Amino acid sequence: MRISLSWLQEYVDIDVTVEELAHQMTMLGLEIESIEQLGEDVQEVYVGQIVAIEPHPDADKIVVCQTDVGGDAPLQICCGAKNMKVGDKVPTAVVGATLPGGFAIARRKMRGVESQGMMCAAQEIGLADETDGLLILEEDATVGEDIRVHLGLDDVVLEIEVTPNRADWASMIGVARELAACYGKELRIPEVALVEQGPAIETVTSVTVEDTERCPRYMGRLLHDVQVGPSPEWLCNYLIAAGQRPINNIVDVTNFVLLETGQPLHAFDFEKLAEKRIVVRTATQDEPINTLDGEARKLSDDMLVIADAKVPQCVAGVMGGADSEVGEGTTTIFLESAFFHPASVRKTSRGLGLISESSQRFQRGADPEMAAYALDRAAQMIQELASAKIAEGVIDAYPEPFVPREVTLPYARTLRLLGVDIAPEQQRAIIESLGFEMLHHDDTAMKVEVPLRRHDVSMEADLIEEIARLYNFDNIPVSLPRARKCEKVFAPNEQRIRAFRHYLVSLGLTELYNWSFSNDDEVQRAALPASYRTMVVLENPLSEKQATMRSSIIPALIGNGARNLNYGVTSVRGFELGPVFAPSDGDELPTQGNRVALVLAGEMEGAHWSRSARAVDFYDMKGLVESVLEHFGVVGKLEESDWETFQGGQRAAVRVGKHVVGTFGRVASAVARAFECDRPLYVAELDLDWLLTKRPGATQFQTVPTFPPSARDLAVVVDSVVPAGELLEKAAQSGGKLLRSVDIFDIFEGEQVGVGKKSVALNLVFQSDERTLTDKDTQKAVDKVLKRLKHEYKAELR
Amino acid sequence: MKEQLEALQAEALDTIAAAADLDTVEAARVKYLGRKGAVTEILRGLGKVSAEERPAMGQLSNVVKAAIGEALDSRKTALSSVADAAREASEAVDLSLPGRRPSQGHLHMVNQVTEEIIDIFAGLGFQVAVGPDIETEYYNFDSLNTPADHPARDSHDTFFVKPGVVLRTHTSPVQMRVMEQVKPPVAVLAPGRVYRVDYDASHSPMFNQIEGLLVDEDVTFADLKGTLMHFVHQLFGKETKVRFRPHFFPFTEPSAEMDISCTVCGGNGCRLCKNSGWLEALGCGMVHPEVFRHAGYDYEKYSGFAFGLGIDRIAMLRHAVPSINHLYDNDLRFLEQF
Ligand SMILES: [Zn+2]
Repeated sequence: MRISLSWLQEYVDIDVTVEELAHQMTMLGLEIESIEQLGEDVQEVYVGQIVAIEPHPDADKIVVCQTDVGGDAPLQICCGAKNMKVGDKVPTAVVGATLPGGFAIARRKMRGVESQGMMCAAQEIGLADETDGLLILEEDATVGEDIRVHLGLDDVVLEIEVTPNRADWASMIGVARELAACYGKELRIPEVALVEQGPAIETVTSVTVEDTERCPRYMGRLLHDVQVGPSPEWLCNYLIAAGQRPINNIVDVTNFVLLETGQPLHAFDFEKLAEKRIVVRTATQDEPINTLDGEARKLSDDMLVIADAKVPQCVAGVMGGADSEVGEGTTTIFLESAFFHPASVRKTSRGLGLISESSQRFQRGADPEMAAYALDRAAQMIQELASAKIAEGVIDAYPEPFVPREVTLPYARTLRLLGVDIAPEQQRAIIESLGFEMLHHDDTAMKVEVPLRRHDVSMEADLIEEIARLYNFDNIPVSLPRARKCEKVFAPNEQRIRAFRHYLVSLGLTELYNWSFSNDDEVQRAALPASYRTMVVLENPLSEKQATMRSSIIPALIGNGARNLNYGVTSVRGFELGPVFAPSDGDELPTQGNRVALVLAGEMEGAHWSRSARAVDFYDMKGLVESVLEHFGVVGKLEESDWETFQGGQRAAVRVGKHVVGTFGRVASAVARAFECDRPLYVAELDLDWLLTKRPGATQFQTVPTFPPSARDLAVVVDSVVPAGELLEKAAQSGGKLLRSVDIFDIFEGEQVGVGKKSVALNLVFQSDERTLTDKDTQKAVDKVLKRLKHEYKAELR
Repeated sequence: MKEQLEALQAEALDTIAAAADLDTVEAARVKYLGRKGAVTEILRGLGKVSAEERPAMGQLSNVVKAAIGEALDSRKTALSSVADAAREASEAVDLSLPGRRPSQGHLHMVNQVTEEIIDIFAGLGFQVAVGPDIETEYYNFDSLNTPADHPARDSHDTFFVKPGVVLRTHTSPVQMRVMEQVKPPVAVLAPGRVYRVDYDASHSPMFNQIEGLLVDEDVTFADLKGTLMHFVHQLFGKETKVRFRPHFFPFTEPSAEMDISCTVCGGNGCRLCKNSGWLEALGCGMVHPEVFRHAGYDYEKYSGFAFGLGIDRIAMLRHAVPSINHLYDNDLRFLEQF
């Protein structure tokens, strides 16, 4: 809401600087969005009076005016507008003036005739009005007066954000009340004294409220002989400062009073109402209405409307209908001031996708008492500004008046909650300053009546908040609470997850963080197994790309890898720890699990002047997966996987005991292409929840060797199909207790070893805790290994 | 014998001094001090020396041995250092050539900040608690005093999975799940992914939040202020100013927003802080009686405070990241900067 400072001053005296005011409002909870100095960009523009208009000697479309701006002589100004006549007063920019947009006025010649300034249209001095021609000012404007002063452009506008609990702040009076309480000033609410004339309202029209639950109060007044026309400048200026466009005196008054009191009003063209009566009812399903914003809308049967005898004329609390709109021909108006149920207005507003000044106030809760004041205030203003006659009497359908709540606050509770001891007198003074009525108070507590505008106050904590606000949060002391022992540990794996994350970073991987969304197409492109295609579906996704909750992190990581390679990143090494989701039949909530996913692509070792780059291959990913398993103290076995995500012959399922912990491999070419990638990508995904169930115990001490190791190489030739891993396994089993480690240091296939054969070179390391080994010891062990390999694989010594 | 030994010493010292390489020095050692060397050879004649002279001759031979040994050692050291210097000179590197850097992984910015925040609050006795990303409307809204028609729901554009089940819009539901499990004291932090139907340069449909909750018999607003000021000073530095101003949240009463002095201009006003000098950092307040009612806590007996902060926003402020979308783009050229 935009708060004009000069308008605000009508209700409360503000004698602090704008900066101090803004700070104080902030500390009251009135959040300042912006502070705008109106007219800042309008300099050297004055009220001028046209004293002569003559044709331009060389141009048809330009006239030469003499305009008096209060100087010694009138200024000669060439002008292309047509709507002015001699004697008119217009905004006149003199030489040296600046206008919005940085536009500067200089002395210049127009077709040979000197022009000493410019007469301005409304939009040229920053007003919202977009009418053609010069802005013709009122006749009593003072020639030579700064236009900003004349038009009220020298105002400051504070734009505030009103929190949803404080409907009462969405009004000038509401804000003024808060500031009056804060500064100890008087709140001035304009007095209303109506002069009623003519036939009593109930003899002319009637109001039937069919749904008193959604419309607890409905008030109306009738105004005759209305002269619809433009509003006076002061009213236009206030509305413009508030960010609204003046329309006509009737609409402007309802808007003005809405901004002033927070009470939405609606004016119907009474003559247009069928049978000239009002029915407050629910709409029928698909009942049509043309709303004031020019839309043809269809209502549903849970929406409240203000109808005449036949059709809806207004969506209750949201927007009026075009059929009974007040316009130039209007002579009689029915002025509505009501209280509609907040939830009902909110639902209708959302249902229609239609938010208005009115709906925003009603859905937060209007003030049922203010309805009466606002109605009379508007009636009086229309009487004054549109020379209308107010029919006698008022319609007030208010079958069950709201009963104000009563709240008791023991003073000690304030101390207990805030941690500051505020004297009972001060607590009471604050509460009373905000308009709460003191019903009773004694040494220990106060009991107050809550004004109906304060829908947010219903309990002791709410009163404490009021006290805290007005006392000022800055004045509440600061203390550091002592540490407290909770009886339960809520996230026992938190530290281990963190340690694991850091472990992966220490391996050179960068942490990725993808949205938890997915979609069918992505899962299909990634060729994940069928079980992954059953996903949790969102009812209202942001777009088709985020239609589901992800069942796997793999598609995201393939996408990340592909994109980064395409960006030109030479080495892609990433991981993500995060949730995956699956629908769950029985349970209220879907299943959620945590996975760790890994991606490798591009170079594993970057090019360096000392060596060339090495591309990632399967064994980089395999080693990484093994490191992950080792981190959790488990040893996995690889099995050929059948996932189509990965390319045949480079894919593996990781089995630990009976459990398949995860899958990894080289992304199949077709899948990579579907992610716009034509380079090798390796991806893995493991079940983090399962890994976290594995708690490696404290590592136990092993003797540090005192005698030197003895290494032997053994190259054997076997059939190509023999898995090298099996040779390692058998060598380890047969090498005896002196064998400490066995590794493969070379694999060779070629003519020298024969077709269908390969040479595998093993490196065997022997060591004893008791003595230095002799050649005889190691030879004996090597012979045993060779014998076993010969027996099992017909291995030949190379 | 005395003359023999003295002559030998002189000869040996000359030979050693003339040795041009380590091999010649080694040969001289063998020749003079070896088992079959010249000194041993001369001492074979010790039996012929009179018993009175023998000790003196023995002593002299030791002096000669020592002198030759010393000359050998010093010549060897001298020659070694020349050889070392020659080899080392030939091994000189180009200091300006790039070194081999071990490859470095990077923790995601969101988790760097999350861990830091958790550590600060862990020091005050808070422990981490977690809850599901897909939540019931009850935990996400109703139990937190935000019933279906509450206007506060307008600011939470919610993803629905089905009626009654939503993607959590904040991590506040974790506080209710925690309070249902234990009686006070409770001091927890709930970090995690949260979701809202909102996507532009400053909104991501998924982002990260940390919710904090402290409940006991004597927790006050002053404690809330102190705790959060401590947090800000730890995270942003002691010079950072902190301001609490009234706000509205359905699940706290009184409610506040905490601002910190602008991280760019320090409070003088700039574009980031819209010239106010302040940046909104988090929302907080004293736990609402309705929330306690849902948790089964007695409001007469217990009080508590809660706060919720956007981790992404804190991370972006700290590292001057212009758009939240960088955080979830997974562009390594971004991630590996931090
Ligand atoms: Zn700033």
